[in-house]
Amino acid sequence: MQKHILNRLKKVFKVEGDIKAPLRIKIVADKDLVSSILLYLKNQMGFIHLNHMSCVDWIEDNKFELVYIVWHPEQKQTVLVHTFIDRDNPVMENIDTIWDQANTYEREMREMYGIEFPGLVGAKEFILEDWQEMPPMRRDFDTKKYAKETYATRPGRENARDVRKEIMKRSGEELPEFAKKYSRD
Amino acid sequence: MFEMTTLVIPTEQRRSDEESLITENKMTNNPDKNIKTLGIPTEEEIKQAQIDFAPRCTSAGRVNDKETQKMVQYILNFARKHSLFVLAYGTGCGAIEIPATMTSRYDAERFGIRGAATPRQADVLMITGYLSTKTLKRVIRVYEQMQDPKYVIAFGSCTINGGMYFDSYNTIKALDRYLPVDVYIAGCMPRPESVINGFIKLQELIQNGNAGGGKCYRDNLDWYRANQQKVIKNWDFPDKYNW
Repeated sequence: MQKHILNRLKKVFKVEGDIKAPLRIKIVADKDLVSSILLYLKNQMGFIHLNHMSCVDWIEDNKFELVYIVWHPEQKQTVLVHTFIDRDNPVMENIDTIWDQANTYEREMREMYGIEFPGLVGAKEFILEDWQEMPPMRRDFDTKKYAKETYATRPGRENARDVRKEIMKRSGEELPEFAKKYSRD
Repeated sequence: MFEMTTLVIPTEQRRSDEESLITENKMTNNPDKNIKTLGIPTEEEIKQAQIDFAPRCTSAGRVNDKETQKMVQYILNFARKHSLFVLAYGTGCGAIEIPATMTSRYDAERFGIRGAATPRQADVLMITGYLSTKTLKRVIRVYEQMQDPKYVIAFGSCTINGGMYFDSYNTIKALDRYLPVDVYIAGCMPRPESVINGFIKLQELIQNGNAGGGKCYRDNLDWYRANQQKVIKNWDFPDKYNW
């Protein structure tokens, strides 16, 4: 069954792909082909459900990898459609005409990675509010540095130092037996 | 007892109470003219009554002295500490411990701790767990809507020093920079026992008159505002804090 699905996709679209697991087929397709592959999977092959859309930041290759996961409810098969887009000019085709729920995923990706989907309807702000920095899920965004600069820390607790001994001294209590093996020193 | 409690209420209200007292007394003094005195008393009658009943209601020497104020404060604090209405507002993951605390097994209501639906009715604001900047904006708005006396209980290690979200780009550490915290409950997560323990600590503070978070906030408003504005980028709060 899996081989049949893979061969059919290979024949129609001339894409690369392999079987990753008993119920999982991976396809790597060109950016422009993705929407037609998804439409074909939905209308012709019965993969009617979009499980998930996600994004991976390959900063070393200067690329974003987008993954579309679709599901066949009768055959219990999953197809993962992978595609790579340019990181400097991240534009991807909008597929919320095929599945409505893609709109939510695309809005999240636009906010968290800065990927543009032309024709995407929806408010600019999805989860974040008043965000003025670069999209926070990009790997070149330094969260630790940003958090240090923006949010005040409690004096004496800037790092992960083990302060249990000081607390013991202050309160006059002894460390319980079970807690002794969890020392950070 | 009745005399003491009437003295605590503000002056405008006191005046109306005096009037009601006057009508009552007139009724008892003149049983024949009961029907007349039920209406609005004339100015002369009021003046006469003010002279007659003045010592009873506003004697500064007898009831407004320090000893009595102490007594009244004691009673007020006693009442406050046994009726802590907690605002039903959960931030972060800690809110999951609240139902367990309130329901039959731990039963926080035996200490007078119960839920309140709106901020105007609530005494205690619980910050349960991590606080993102987006939520902080709402929390400050909620806190400013609450009426005095009001207390804040911070819950979990996230509010103390960031906890496991110490390097997050979107959650604050050290809550007491932004809101006056009366009691911190440590732990991740604090179990219902420690939640109740924290509430009892708050009750002690209230009884001793040390839980003055609302006053602290009003006095140091500029400092709190500066800290809040550092985190909340698009500031659209009302300029005045007047309640």
